[in-house]
Amino acid sequence: MPATAPRPRRRAKATLFVKIPSETSYLALVRELTKKMAEAAGFPEATADRLALAVDEATTNVIEHAYKGAADQEIELRFEDRGAEFRVELIDTGKMVDPRTVPRVDLERFVTERRTGGLGMHLMEKIMDSVTFRRSARRNVCLLVKRKDGAAVP
Amino acid sequence: MSDLTVETRDVADVTVLYPHGFINAHTVREFDSAIQKAVVRRRFKIVVNCEGLSYIASAGLGAMMGAIEEIRGSGGDLRLAGLNDTVHNIFEILGFNHLYRTYPSEAEAVSSFREGGQAAS
Repeated sequence: MPATAPRPRRRAKATLFVKIPSETSYLALVRELTKKMAEAAGFPEATADRLALAVDEATTNVIEHAYKGAADQEIELRFEDRGAEFRVELIDTGKMVDPRTVPRVDLERFVTERRTGGLGMHLMEKIMDSVTFRRSARRNVCLLVKRKDGAAVP
Repeated sequence: MSDLTVETRDVADVTVLYPHGFINAHTVREFDSAIQKAVVRRRFKIVVNCEGLSYIASAGLGAMMGAIEEIRGSGGDLRLAGLNDTVHNIFEILGFNHLYRTYPSEAEAVSSFREGGQAAS
């Protein structure tokens, strides 16, 4: 009886769920986790550093805008390696923030009008391939996606 | 140990800030406070020595932007020295390298105020 060729093993992709308090003291942990997960997904260290910055900024946005600085709420983070892309979802139950109302960066106006808002959003959009927001079951869901094909890496 | 400490040293008419650690929304107050203290003392020639800075998020960049108009309007500037690759990359993503002069070393950044020199990068 001919031996059957062994099936190639499919390597399981990493998924991680984390729930943190809405405190800025957890931002360093979020950054470390994101970097580790991005490196595990195959991104080089420099790209993993940028992805960690984007998720830091997204988490900061939730704390400052959705929860208005309240430290007694929760933020769910879901890291997912989908093979072709790396996804991070942030879920909160705070105030709905319309991303269209968040000011975008304008370096000239920064200097002349002391505008400092919108830097975080600008960083997220520059680093990620897509940044989307949706409202689902009274929760805000922010989805950050980075493709692995190397496109649009700043 | 604290996530961020910021030491301040006066070198003649230039004030050098030494952030050590990382700057994010949690630690930014320490950094913002150090900049504001220099401004209150009317020390408008400021160098941020970033050799001990491992990371900076937008909160830290916002702290610099929040003070830059007053600093430049008073004849000074805020210049940066010794950025590591991570911090330099964040500056480039935001285009901050066009807004702030950066130098490889503190000595070059300090002396640039005397020469009215151009940025090294």
